This record gives sequence, C-alpha cells and structure tokens, in this order.
Amino acid sequence: MEFPTALFPSYFGAGPPRDETGPAPAAGWGEHGQVLEAGPGRRQAETTFVPRRSRTGESWEPADAAAVPFLPPNASCWVPLLTPQDILYHGILRRKLRAGKSGAALNFTKQLGHFFVDHPEDAFGSLGQLLHKNFHLGNSKLRRRVRDTTIRMTALREEIDRLEARRGCPRRYLASRLRWFSHLSRDWLFEVPLGLLGDCVHEELLLQWAGLLFDDSPTGGALAWLPPKDAEAGTGRLVYPGGQAMNHLYFQDVVLEGLPRAQGSPAQFELNGRIRQVAAAQADGEDFVGVRSDYHCGVWRVPGRTGAAPTPLQVIRTSVPASCLTVSPHLPGELAICTQSGAVYLWSVETGLQRLRHDPQTMFFRDHSPWRWSDFTAHPRVLSCADRTGLQCLDTRAPERCHFDLFKIGEEAGCQQGERVVLPVYLGRAHPSQHLVTTQFSVYLLDERLPLVPVLKWAHMMKAPPLFAHLMPGGPRRSHKVLLGASRTQELLLLQYQGERLSCRGGSRTACQLVGPPQKLHSIAGCLQHMPTQLPHRHHLLQQRLSAPAAGLAAALQKDGPWESLLVFQLSEAGDIFYQRLMHKAAQPPAPLSGDEPAAAPGSSRLPAAALRYRRWLRALSKSCEERPRHAWPPTLSQKRLFTRKELEVPVGPSTLHGQARWQLRQAMREGGRIQRWDPPAPQPPPLPQPPEPAEGLDPLSTRLTVAWSGDWAQWMSFNMAQRQRALRERRRQQKRVRGRRSLSASFTSSLTYQSELSELSDAAPPPLSPTTLPCEGSPPPPVGPPASPAPEEALLSSQSLRSRGIPKERRKTLRDYLAVWADGPPEPPEPPSSQASQLCIPSSQSQLSSASQPRRKRPRMGF
Amino acid sequence: SSREHKSNFKKSKEVCLSYIQDAMLQKQWKKAAEFMTFYVESLEKDFSTEYMGPSEMIWRIGTEILCHHPRSSMKEFNSFIEQMKTLGVKRYLKVCLEHAFHLLCNGQIDEAYQNLSLAESWRFGEQTVIQDKEMKLIQAYRGLLDYYSWCKQKNILLEHGQDGFEDLSVEQEMHRCFRKAAVNLKEIIKIPGVWDLFVKCYVDLLEFYGDHNEARQVLNEYAYNSKFPANPNAHVYLYQFLKRHGESKKSLISALKILHDIAPSHELMIDFNTMLQKSKKRKKRRLGLEVIFAALDYAGWKENVKAWRCLARQVKQIAISEKHLDWIKQEWNSRKSWWPAFHFSRYLAKRDWQGNESLSYEKALVAGILLGKDCKYFKYVSHQGCKAQVKRFRILKKFVNKHNPVYLRICH
Repeated sequence: MEFPTALFPSYFGAGPPRDETGPAPAAGWGEHGQVLEAGPGRRQAETTFVPRRSRTGESWEPADAAAVPFLPPNASCWVPLLTPQDILYHGILRRKLRAGKSGAALNFTKQLGHFFVDHPEDAFGSLGQLLHKNFHLGNSKLRRRVRDTTIRMTALREEIDRLEARRGCPRRYLASRLRWFSHLSRDWLFEVPLGLLGDCVHEELLLQWAGLLFDDSPTGGALAWLPPKDAEAGTGRLVYPGGQAMNHLYFQDVVLEGLPRAQGSPAQFELNGRIRQVAAAQADGEDFVGVRSDYHCGVWRVPGRTGAAPTPLQVIRTSVPASCLTVSPHLPGELAICTQSGAVYLWSVETGLQRLRHDPQTMFFRDHSPWRWSDFTAHPRVLSCADRTGLQCLDTRAPERCHFDLFKIGEEAGCQQGERVVLPVYLGRAHPSQHLVTTQFSVYLLDERLPLVPVLKWAHMMKAPPLFAHLMPGGPRRSHKVLLGASRTQELLLLQYQGERLSCRGGSRTACQLVGPPQKLHSIAGCLQHMPTQLPHRHHLLQQRLSAPAAGLAAALQKDGPWESLLVFQLSEAGDIFYQRLMHKAAQPPAPLSGDEPAAAPGSSRLPAAALRYRRWLRALSKSCEERPRHAWPPTLSQKRLFTRKELEVPVGPSTLHGQARWQLRQAMREGGRIQRWDPPAPQPPPLPQPPEPAEGLDPLSTRLTVAWSGDWAQWMSFNMAQRQRALRERRRQQKRVRGRRSLSASFTSSLTYQSELSELSDAAPPPLSPTTLPCEGSPPPPVGPPASPAPEEALLSSQSLRSRGIPKERRKTLRDYLAVWADGPPEPPEPPSSQASQLCIPSSQSQLSSASQPRRKRPRMGF
Repeated sequence: SSREHKSNFKKSKEVCLSYIQDAMLQKQWKKAAEFMTFYVESLEKDFSTEYMGPSEMIWRIGTEILCHHPRSSMKEFNSFIEQMKTLGVKRYLKVCLEHAFHLLCNGQIDEAYQNLSLAESWRFGEQTVIQDKEMKLIQAYRGLLDYYSWCKQKNILLEHGQDGFEDLSVEQEMHRCFRKAAVNLKEIIKIPGVWDLFVKCYVDLLEFYGDHNEARQVLNEYAYNSKFPANPNAHVYLYQFLKRHGESKKSLISALKILHDIAPSHELMIDFNTMLQKSKKRKKRRLGLEVIFAALDYAGWKENVKAWRCLARQVKQIAISEKHLDWIKQEWNSRKSWWPAFHFSRYLAKRDWQGNESLSYEKALVAGILLGKDCKYFKYVSHQGCKAQVKRFRILKKFVNKHNPVYLRICH
C-alpha cells in the first residue's frame, strides 16, 4: 500500500509525557491541527490547503429518535450491579473519614458485619457449639447450680439492639458491657482469626472498588457482526452472549432488508463461564469467531454458506484469567491470546500454542495493571503486543530478537500525564498498516511504517474510557467510520477519517485526515422515555435494566438501492441488544418520487413500528421477571409422587397372605418381640447358582468376586493378605537384582513427561459437563514452548525420592551426578507416547510416583 | 453564603457545558450557540486554576460552532477570533496559528500571511516551551507561504522570460521571497520532527539556486539523524534527489536498502527489485529476491500484480537455469508454513481467477514452482485457464510440469 507523499508537520520529542493532567472537557473542538498542501498545486495559480481535522465529512443522520430493541429481552432477571453506595461510607462518618485524606472511604465494618450475620456457622461455628451450654439466652433467672458456668446473654443482646436504634446519634455512650465482652472474646471466639478475615475482606473490598472505578474485563466487547458473504444475499450473523450468567453463545441470522430482523432461531452453545469477549474476523472466505471467558478461550468456524451451522473447533483453558483474544484476518484458525500474567500466545488451531512473550512487567514504565492485549498487523507473522504503557510489534518467528516500538505513552505521541492505553485495534480492513489506539483521553491513529508518531490524534472527550471500537471501512473516495463505545456510561461516538485516497487530480497521495465533526449516537438508557408509561416501581426497575453498562458494540452497513444506512448494535451487560439506524445523506439527496409510498427511505421515521417493538419488549421483560419468583421457591418433594395411584390402591378383599401377616404382626407386638420372617410358608429360596470352577489365571477381581459369591469372604481376605505380602517381598527381591540402569532410564522418562508441559496453559480441564462437548479434532499438537519448570529434576535428585526408589545410600551420589549430566543437555527426547512409556518402564512398586507425575495430555479439552 | 454561591455557580457552569457538548455532538449547532451565549458568563468569575480555563474552552467551542453554524460568515468568524486573541495571553500564539490555518483552508492566503507576520512580532515576557514551539511553527508556515509566492514569481519569470520585460522587479521580488523562506524553513527542520512539507520546499529552493551540496546535506540529516523519527518519506526524498542528479546505481541502492530495512512494504520496493535484478552481481540479485519476498509478506501487497510479476520472473529464471535454487529454498523455508494458506488457498485461487486473471497467472506460476504441480492454487487456475482456452495458461502448465523436479529440490 502506498505511503503518503507528505505527512502533516509535527514535532517529535522523546521522554515522559507533559505536565498537563486530567481530562479537558472541550479539548477536541476547534482545532485544525496542521495544514498540508493539497495536491500538486505548483502549476496552479493558487495553492490549496487541507487541514488535519477537516470540518466536512459524510452526513449520517439518525433515523429513529432512540435505540430500538432488536431481540427480545435476555431471559434473566438481571441482578443490578454493585454501586458505590454499597461499599462506601456515607453520612457523617464519611465526612469525618474524608476530612484528612482524599480517596474513597470503604465501609469495611459493614461488610464484616454482613459476614457475621449471614454466615454465623462459618464465623463462629465450632466455639458456638462448644459454648452454647454456657450461654443463657432466656429471660429467666439462672439457677444456682449452673450459675457458676453460665452467663446470661440477654442483657448483652438488649444493649446491641439499643445501639442499633441509636445509630447516628453522636452522643451515644459506649456500652461498657459490650466493650468488656468484645475484649474478652476477640482472640478466641472467631472461627477465622479476626486479623486474617479482616485482611481478606479488605482486599476484596479494594478489588471491588477498583472494578467499580474501571473494569477492563469486557475490553473488546462481546458482540460481533459477521457480514454477509455476498452483498445480494443480505443475511449476516450476529454473535452475542446471553442467558442468566451470560454463558450461552448465540449465532443469530439477521436479514438486512428494510428494517433489520432476526431470521429463525439462533444456533446456541452453552459454555462454562461468563463470556467476556467475542472477536471475529474473516480469513480465506470463512468467519472465525473467538470467545473469551475468564479461564477459557474457544474458537468457532462459521462456513461461508448462509444457514450453515457454526462448528466449534478448539478450547483452551488458562490458569490465569485471559485479558485478550483476537482473531487473525490473514490466516484461517489463528488467534492471539494474552493472559493477566503478562504472557502472549499465538494460538493456531492446527499447530497449537506458541508462547511469544512472558513478562509480568510492563514495557515502557512501571504500571500496576496486569491487562495485556495483542492484535495482528499487516504482516501475518508479526503481532502487536500492548499493555497500559504502549504497544510493541514482535515477530512470532523470533519474538526475542525482532521487535519494534509502535506506540509509547510519552512525549513521542504528545500524551498527557496519567494517560494509559485502553484499547488497541488493528484497522486492517480499512488500511493494512494502520492501527487505532484509544486512551482515556484521546484516540490515536498509527501507521506501522512510521512507528511512534501518531498519524492522527484527537481528544475524544468521552466520560468513560472507550473499551469497544468497531471499524466500518469505506470504499474508494469514502471515509472510514470508527465507532467508539464506553461501558459504564453507554456512550457511543462515530468518527470518520480518510486515509491515503488518491486526490482528485491524481498523482499525490494525501495523509490521513479526520473528517467531519464527531457524532454522538443514542445510548440504550436513552430509550426509557419512549417506553410505555409504567408504575413507579416498574419504572425504576426498567431504568436500572436499561442503564446497565454496555458490553459490546457492532455495526453493519445496509445498502438498499440508492439508500445506505448504518446499523449500530449495542449489547448491555444484562444481555439485551438494541440497535439504531443512521441514514447516509449523500451530497445530492435522491429526488423524492412522485408516488406516495416509496418516497421515504425504507423504514425511516416509522414511529409506530418502533413503538410496537418497545411494547413487545417490555411485555416480554415483565413476563420473564414475573415468572421468576415461581421458580425461586425451594424445591419440594410431593408425597404423592412416591407411589403411583395403582400401587396405593387398596385390594378388593384381604388375601390370606394379608391375614397371616397381620396376625403375625399382632403376635409380635404382644410379645414385644420382632418379626423374623414375613412370609410363613416361605418357599425354599432358590439355591445359589454354583460359581464356575475358578480357572487358572483368573484376575484378582474375578477371584475376589467368586470367593465373595460363595460366602467365605473373610477367609479369602486373610489368605489374600498373606499372599500379597509374600508377592511383594518376592518382587522386592527381584528388583534389587535388576536395579540400576533400568530404573534410571525409567526415571528419566518420567522427567521428560514433565518437560513437555505448558506451565500456564494447561488442559487439565474438568471433564466436560455442558452439552457442548466438542469433538476432539486433529492430532494432539506437539509440545511447544520451553521446558516449564526445573521441578522434576529437583524432585528426582532429592534423596527422599531416591530412597523411595530403593536405591542404597552409597549409590545415590553417583546417580545424582549422572542425572545432573543428563539434565544439562538432554538428548533428543525419544518422543515417548508418554503415558504408556512411563507406565511400562517404571516398576510397579513405584507406581505411586509415576501417577503423581502422570503427564497431562496436551490436547485442549473440549469442555468449555 | 458566598461559598455556596460559588459551588452553585460552578455546578450550573458544568451543566451548561454538558448541554453544549451534547448539542454539538448531535450536530445541533444552533442549540449549541444559544447555550453558548449563557456560558460566556462563566468568564466573569474565572477562578479556576485548571489546565484548561473557560477562555480556552470558549475559544474552542466557539470556533467549532462558527465553523458549522448555517448562518455564520467568515467575517463573524474573524471578529470572534480577534476577540479570543485578546482574551488569554497563554494561548495567543495557538489561536493565531489556528486562525491562519482556517484562513489557509478557505483560500485566503494573503490574510493568513498577514496574520502569521503579526503573530511573529508578538512578545510577552518569557516564553514557555510550548510557546517557543508554536512560534517556530508560525515562522515555518510563514516561510512556507513565502516559498509559494517565490514559486509564483518563478513561474511568471519562466513564462515571460522570453519577452524580456519586467524582469528586474520580478526577479528581485523572487529573491526576496527566497531569502525570507529559506531562513525560516532552515530553522524548523533542524528540530526533530516530521517536516516533510518544509524539507521538500527548502530542497526545491536550494536546488533551484544550484546549492546541491547543502540540499544533499539537509536530506541526509533529515533521513539519518537518529533524533528524528524513522520517517520513510525522508529516505524517499533522498532517493528521489539522488536519482534526479544522476547518482551512481550503488548510492541509489544503498539509499533504498535503508528504506527496505525500515519499511519493507514501501511501494518503492518494486523499483528496488527491478534495479537489483538487472545487476550483474549475484549478491544483489539475491537481495532482490529477498526484497520481493519480504514485500509480498504484507497483506497490502496480496493483490499487487506488479510485485507478483517480479517474483514470478525471478523464480522462473532460477528454475530454468537451475542455479541458485538454494536462494529460493532459504527464502521459502521461513514461509512454507504460512504462505500456502495466506496466498495459495483454493478460495483465493477462485477469487483471483474471477477478479484478476493476470494476477492469478503470476501467482499460479510461483505456486507451481514453490509448491509443485499438485498445489491447489496452481491446479485450479491452470485447469480454469486451459478450460477457457487461454494460451499462456497452457504454456504455464507445461512449464510447471517440466520443472517439477525443481519443486522437489526446494522442498527436500
């Protein structure tokens, strides 16, 4: 792709960012940035100039007054999220606490109190049981006999109640009795030591507070649009999470004709965790969808044909939460994953995982955030890696050596103090070497060929940092559209930029320009006033539901004859999907037809349609919420169901058997004895079938069962014990004879199995539970990455383990030296079919050790 | 109380600002302008010590509104900006610069020039670092405008040169412009930055007056000074300069080699490749192969027929001569794991065949040699080509079949 013949002028400096801090409310307005000569103007009489921020762009007008529900509400009674009021002090105490220092005052005592009240068993269980005889809770006086060992708690309780009533009163006196009791019992009453419990609660509170301030787990967004393969078909797909725990993945066909509508029921997959991010890209004519939850990442393939079912390909499990998953637009089945431990992996469905980097530290300066991100670049073998301090590009073929800095928070890009990277996006669909980087203050457009210097910069003025971005590439002579979305405030912003188009006279290629003023789109919460009027408490619930933080963003371009419209979908954390349309107003608006009906653009200002959607959505919502309480009762077991009606039926007349039984019962009751046999004329029990003659070489289980069958179990036990002891002794003797090289090679094999383990991404997944048990495809990937830990060698060399192998003391040293030589430069591993090899080689008396070092299978498990 | 009043005032100021922002973000410029008239009151009690005070906000917002408001005119805009200039000292230069930009974009170049000259003569106490930078920019832009008027004089002179009248005054004027432009442009390009426009103009001036050494020095400095960002254009300008002055192949190649190192996907790589292929030295031809392989690694080159033709030509040469097969082998080794999926899949074969026949021809040739005659891409394209009875595809098929041993030697 061509590089612009001249770039806009800018200073370039290195070093830390400038002093200016904080968001400036109007920083994005009023600037042209710089100007550049437009086109080859030398032959012309007058030179013309273009600004970096141009005022005229394409005009996209909202078609509706507010966002409209696209799908029925997510079937769950959404629990409102934590609010600052829940964990902060308020009232007098807050003012007192905040007087000295700045920052939030976390209501620590309240949370601790909640724990004691809600989980008394866990808080005081054992001592409560031990002491409950010594505490008296009644009103009566204690008798003399027990007074020595029992105390009356009634007064204490009354005082606690009084304290509660006097809350907020500044003049309340401290109850001496309470103080006395708490001093007395502080050290021994609690099940969990109070200091430890306090630390844990405090830590959790801090975590929750940090999450309230800024939650980066939904970065990237959990909504994806798979565009139609050919423009005529007009059926795309929307991929989104849903369900009560947002753990169901849906693929919904969407028809783009007139008003967009869902077609058929969605393909559905139940996953094993809350879906944080859904990423999609098209490679080789097929869509690949990557799904990230905290500890699992999965990839689906969606074939090009419309209506073809998506197929799950692979799942991997991480031991540290993953923070990023992006899908390669170049090669089918390639993804990039980052985890919060600072590791970056290239994940190929065919060849498995490749670790490119593992660095818990941030790149350019120290930042505490464990968030990492990675995306693809113009070169299919080069990935960009990001943390809060900047971006680097690294070559996957030599990740240690080949890398360069693409973006740095600092003077290079003219950043502010405290500015941090929030979301990097590869803009390959618009231009193969451009990237977008958002921070909490600005958006930057970068070109890989000119690293560190932003091609464009604009202060976006959003109230919350933009966590989602969606690119709509424009064709030739059209602007590219970028949608930015924030989570907590549901803000949506539409930007347009134009890059490197051929200018009108041809020849010169102009640099990137931001065109047109930014445009704010409707948020989900904004449609509240268009919903039918509700009773106050319903209204409040609705308001809460609609103002849930946004969780994703996607957009589709719809072409309907001469009209072009942009469909913007927004997903909320409650799982609801709303959409809005923007109509493109071309320079010459299409002349209104003389006819009456088709004059209006398709579906424009059809308010009744929107109103209908609102009403339907609301009805579905209230229905799903009302249904909930019925399910909420604890499950009860109906007595009737234990027996069928037929079983309970009274026989017509008492049979003789009944009579006899009754008589016997009475007899037994009279005598105070017991009934020995119910049926007096007991038919002879059928004789036990004779077990077949134990054949020679029967396996121990069959022998044992045979013996048990014939009844002499106890005898067999004692005999068997003796036999086994004998056998063991015999084997020990044999082993002593053959010990030496064989056990050595065996131990080496077992150490090899360790080496091929991935340290972090393991697949020791729990057995698949969900219905999405995916079929394992392909052969297990070969071991990747360097040896995980030196642990196995150490374990092998410890004298304890050597002793356990029965190696005499005087030979242990020799063995240790021998092993150390091997550990230094292990020869080409003989590629053991590991589990089998280790079992074959290791003598059975050491099987305990071998089972501990049982190699975990490398292949990703298919249970999400 | 006064404190309460103050906080109330602050609160209502914030609310007003958020209304303005909302209106602007929804392109309701008239509404924003109405709110703005209220917001101007905030100037009266500007106690803020914040980084961006109300005066700057009013300048920014007001400019934006006036640019979009349906009933605003250039005259109004100018008078608003003049008021803004008197409002804050800190931002005076910035406002002047932006005003000049606005005038330039609206074609009022003379007004812009006056404005810049006025701003240049402004002095107020000690300048901050930012003000210093802004001042340099103002001077540079004025230099740029001087350069454009120099161009104009030059054109007049060239057109009327034959007639032989008016020569002297025009020429004097031209030299005056040259001197003014050169002084200012020379200053700014010493400071690290991206100064493509200024460098180009300055070099043009120097070249016209025959000062080639100075021009070369400027371009070398711009390209190779490590304090400057790695700007591909700096190397492009240098290369173009060298080419214009008929420099030796060797220096051209070394200039492009550095461009190849910093931007292997630059479009000049095709020129570079052709230059290297023509070379007699084996080392250079080898480098040419590397260059074209590296360029085709990038997604932006995927459908570049020229580049594929270069590669196909070179690969074909090697295949026929059967010399230097190890070159291909080495280049292919690091790519054989992903090029087949990236370039030579069946899907791409179909798409290339339908969209661009010559592209598919060149690619099929490369695929046939690198991946053998059983490769999906080659099979599909040659089959389609033979079916459509295109002659060159039949020849291609024969060629690949004949040279299939080459593939075997590359792969094993």
